[in-house]
Amino acid sequence: MATKEELLEKLKEGVVEYEEDTVKEASQQWLDDGYVALDGIMDGLAAGMEIVGDLYDKNEYFVPEVLMCADALYGGLAILRPHVPDSEEGINAQVVIGSIQGDVHDIGKNLVKMMFDVAGWDVHDLGRDVPLENFVEEQLRTDSEVVAMSAMMTTTMLGMKKVIAMIKEKNPDVAIMLGGAPVTKDVANLFGADGYAESAGNAVSEGIKMIGRLREMRAKG
Amino acid sequence: MAELTPKERVMRLLKKEPIDTMPFFSGMGMVVMPGIEKSGFNFATVHTSAERMAWSAIHSAKLMNFDCVVIPYDMTMESEAMGNTISLYEDSEDILYPTIPNKIWSTMDEVVVPDKIWEKGRLPILKEAIKIIKENAPELPIGCWQLGPFTQAGQILELDVMLKGVFKQKEKVGETLDKLSDMIIGIGQHLQEAGCDYIVLREPGVAADLLSPKTFKEFIQPRLTRILAGWKSPKLLHICGKTEPLLSMMAECGADGLTVDIKCDVRKGREILGPDVLFMGNLDTYTMTCDEKTPVQTSIDHIKDMIDGGVDAVMPGCDLWPAIIEENMKACVDTTHEHGKKASPAVGRL
Repeated sequence: MATKEELLEKLKEGVVEYEEDTVKEASQQWLDDGYVALDGIMDGLAAGMEIVGDLYDKNEYFVPEVLMCADALYGGLAILRPHVPDSEEGINAQVVIGSIQGDVHDIGKNLVKMMFDVAGWDVHDLGRDVPLENFVEEQLRTDSEVVAMSAMMTTTMLGMKKVIAMIKEKNPDVAIMLGGAPVTKDVANLFGADGYAESAGNAVSEGIKMIGRLREMRAKG
Repeated sequence: MAELTPKERVMRLLKKEPIDTMPFFSGMGMVVMPGIEKSGFNFATVHTSAERMAWSAIHSAKLMNFDCVVIPYDMTMESEAMGNTISLYEDSEDILYPTIPNKIWSTMDEVVVPDKIWEKGRLPILKEAIKIIKENAPELPIGCWQLGPFTQAGQILELDVMLKGVFKQKEKVGETLDKLSDMIIGIGQHLQEAGCDYIVLREPGVAADLLSPKTFKEFIQPRLTRILAGWKSPKLLHICGKTEPLLSMMAECGADGLTVDIKCDVRKGREILGPDVLFMGNLDTYTMTCDEKTPVQTSIDHIKDMIDGGVDAVMPGCDLWPAIIEENMKACVDTTHEHGKKASPAVGRL
């Protein structure tokens, strides 16, 4: 029988090496052996994704690899997440996420969504090609703390500016995160956004850092 | 010597022959709201009629003093001709380009390129638009473009199918890219026969922040090379995003010149390519031309810096966003013409 450490290593390695079946098996084993599901998510799957983030930052991994790692992670998350009691979810927060109208690309959006999923947020995914007012309505309906929007094309990016203005007018406390290929830090600042992720991959490393911080907080707590 | 027409200027530049001053031109969208308004059409309707496309292009170029016209404006013509339905956003108050919201195919096996695709969907209007532009603005060169096969695949399939396929289904990815490359060669040849003066192969989906340079070399470079070999000159290659790691490989693809966007440092790019490669870029198409907070002087400095950094022509790094601030846009064009009177690395002056 594998030890706890060996199983964690398997979860981590499985994500890094994008071996979805290994991750699924190790996740099931983790539960069968009676370990805490959230530990498997944070110290196994999320820890693996942190390594993926490093590999991306070092230009050893690119978007295809990250997408496959994400598939492996989701394979494990689907098994472990249902066994995490609500009270144990490290964070009790909500995010509205989507690709802006006119933009049918959603790779970056889906990667960022994964980070929120892993971290235990309630994710309200509006999908892609989302009319601007839907972001505002969904934020108001759910009272989400964060609205995350992505645009892959310069030509759709300007819609974000309108959404930010509409949301901030109604609820100035909402944190807004922007991402997508044409969005630069300057643009995010000009638009009045609170957070920024440069590209699908950068969203990954930013998101992973966020998970890293949550893991640290959890370890201290 | 008398001043060259924009067409003479661009066509000479593309052959690296001496010119009077640096042109401001592009191989990607150059249609802007003042031009669309002058032609009296709504943005959502300029994609579907040769007449509207041609006149919005001509007016945009003439009002802004651009050294070219470029058609088409949107990236969905081929995908639509293959059977997908486009969304034109006719009811939106915003300027939105057509998209394919839902694709009919979900796997690479399903992809079928119809014979003579240039006769299908909206593609025939390009030939007609070229004719109208030639008749009404003979002094302007006409640029046309085709997406590269990887980016085009993202218009007909979900892009993650291709991205993951690079590892999981290498052979299938190769076959799909080959199929699309044949189509791209065919459409390009058809556009050249119709009278387009230069053609750009734009492949933004393969930048080094998405795919590894290794994947570029294995999957993309051979196809780009084959496509460019299938077209006559002048022909350019454009890649958006992080391109510095790819520039040497881009230079081997057989294009007459390379163009890049703001994520490429032109000084570094020039250093990598050396002085002989025709190298163009990389106007920031939001901050410098659309942001009302950008002082005109900042746009002017941006252009001067680009020219001093070693470009042979100023080109927008991407499609120009149509909602330009006219003063900034005109300043960018005028500065290119004024500051570009001295020879650039690859092109001399008359």
